[in-house]
Amino acid sequence: MGVYMASVEIQKVRKCFGETEVLKEVSLSIREGEFVVLVGPSGCGKSTLLRMVAGLELPTSGTISIDSKVVNTVPPKSRGVAMVFQNYALYPHMTVRDNLSFGLKLAHVAIPEIEKRVKEAAEVLGLVKHLEKKPGQLSGGQKQRVAMGRAMVRQPKVFLFDEPLSNLDAQLRVKMRTEISHLHRRLHATSIYVTHDQVEAMTLADRIAVMNQGQLEQVGSPLELYQNPRTRFVASFIGTPSMNFVEGELLYLIKAPHGVASAGFRPENTFLKQGKVSLGEGQVVLVEPLGSIAYIHISLKGNYLVSEMKGHDWPEIGSTTEVFIDDSKVFYFDSQGKRI
Amino acid sequence: MNRRASLLPWGLLFPTMAILSIFVIYPAIQSLILSFQDVEPLSKRSFFIGFENYEVLLKSPDYWQSARVTGSFLLLTVIPSLVISLTIAVFLDANPFFQNGFRTLFLLPVAISSSMAAMLWIFIYNPTAGFLNYFLDVLGIHGPNWLADPDTALIAVAISTVWKELGFNIIFFLAGLSAIPNELKEAAELDGANGWQIFRNVTLPLLSPTLFFVSVVSVINSLQSFGQIHILTTGGPMGETTTLVYNLYRDAFVKFRTGLASSEAVVLFTLIMIATTIQFRLAKKRVHYG
Ligand SMILES: Nc1ncnc2c1ncn2[C@@H]1O[C@H](COP(=O)(O)OP(=O)(O)OP(=O)(O)O)[C@@H](O)[C@H]1O
Ligand SMILES: [Mg+2]
Repeated sequence: MGVYMASVEIQKVRKCFGETEVLKEVSLSIREGEFVVLVGPSGCGKSTLLRMVAGLELPTSGTISIDSKVVNTVPPKSRGVAMVFQNYALYPHMTVRDNLSFGLKLAHVAIPEIEKRVKEAAEVLGLVKHLEKKPGQLSGGQKQRVAMGRAMVRQPKVFLFDEPLSNLDAQLRVKMRTEISHLHRRLHATSIYVTHDQVEAMTLADRIAVMNQGQLEQVGSPLELYQNPRTRFVASFIGTPSMNFVEGELLYLIKAPHGVASAGFRPENTFLKQGKVSLGEGQVVLVEPLGSIAYIHISLKGNYLVSEMKGHDWPEIGSTTEVFIDDSKVFYFDSQGKRI
Repeated sequence: MNRRASLLPWGLLFPTMAILSIFVIYPAIQSLILSFQDVEPLSKRSFFIGFENYEVLLKSPDYWQSARVTGSFLLLTVIPSLVISLTIAVFLDANPFFQNGFRTLFLLPVAISSSMAAMLWIFIYNPTAGFLNYFLDVLGIHGPNWLADPDTALIAVAISTVWKELGFNIIFFLAGLSAIPNELKEAAELDGANGWQIFRNVTLPLLSPTLFFVSVVSVINSLQSFGQIHILTTGGPMGETTTLVYNLYRDAFVKFRTGLASSEAVVLFTLIMIATTIQFRLAKKRVHYG
């Protein structure tokens, strides 16, 4: 399939529903062919932003441009975008074939061309055997693929995904994630992808945009966000399990600079046997073995810490253990949550 | 299955079956039997006369006229009622702001008894003092004597019938519409469909079970209309509003031709059955469940 891509420019976009301001001046530019993932807690405005790019919602102020053309007042169908909905939104009364070709028929694409594109998409997505079925006769994964196919056949300039995998079970989610990744590498279509899932975000994204309370906290490559979070929120949001944070007297132990309100370090830099700086003794509250590694949850002077531990000689729950960290891998944040 | 378990369903069915038998099945069978008899008015004497009642019916120009009137009435009530109520329901569904108030407003006529409603329309249709002709006058149109003019009487009765049933249909359509996920319409919008195409390709097919139910009920209601005809026109002028049911009523309770009326009941029953069967047949192809 050909390459159809466009840049997307979101400039100072605000959105209010009545009195409530859901998005506050969000700006984000997305390059041609880039895969940008929007992450953030529930209700932070991810879907709203995506729906404004799609044209299903009007910005209260600010502009959205596709291919350097302001599209604020352009209806969805003329924007060259396709969207994959969380619940797939397949037409239940149409066969898979009709679901795929509906948009093309409306656009008066020639029949042989429609057939060609449907066939191509069905082959790529493994739907050839299911073309005459209705969505009700498909499994969750197959429905998801039809939803993807419906977006693909239209050869949009921009793909929008709103938590497309969240209704699938864990195994299928991993499988579809890899498929989306392959597809993107083949099609190079500009994509905006909303998800709750850390791993999806880290593995799919060229860049991740972390949103919080209607604002963009930080935009950057997955590694950049992981290694260099600019706020405490981003630091805690990126990475599983979450970064450990300590406050109060422990800050003296790690010789935090002046003005630091909290310090963070990742579970993989939190050790139980030996390390550079000791934080003192804590009590083991939970052990989560994951096979080759285990997460040890520890309560230490009112702080809750998680340590990633290799091997199988875990401490017992309820026992006390000394905790060490690598002080070169500590992030410091001020009282506003900004990185120091 | 043990004996008690096998008796239980029958026990539970018994009250319903008893009531149905006494008030529906027994009279229906009696009608069928009477339709083959000549029953003397106000006496108990009756003779078996085979299909003579049916022959009389088929040869009666009045009966054929009432069949034609019924057909016209069916078209004048069912189609406008479906189209108007669907239009209003779609509008209310798209504008939730209006929904609560207007839903009540449209449902009001359904709650009024049919005789009360008909009395209201008598006032509205009154040629000299009625609202309708008053407004037509304002527009510079000289309104007819709605209920007494053979050209307008059936239309007038149909309008009052549609008005009364609108709310019932709207409620069902609104329920059906609210069950259609918004995402589907948005998906269609992104697929390039305009408002009408969304309605035609997404809303209507998904609403088809409701549409089917409402149209079956409307047809049956229309074929059984009686109250409003009785009060507005008593079947006149010149039989222009005498439907099959009204004809039946007159033969049975004004002319006391019980046998003949029974045969009319059987014919009417058969017609309703046929109409409903046709609708079910059509529905098999067009209605999408789930
Ligand atoms: N049509 C609407 N009318 C009023 N408020 C709305 C509307 N749509 C969304 N909101 C509000 O806007 C905020 C952001 O919603 P949005 O759906 O964008 O969140 P989200 O980040 O996608 O959340 P989730 O991860 O749970 O899907 C929420 O507080 C929501 O209640
Ligand atoms: Mg959302």
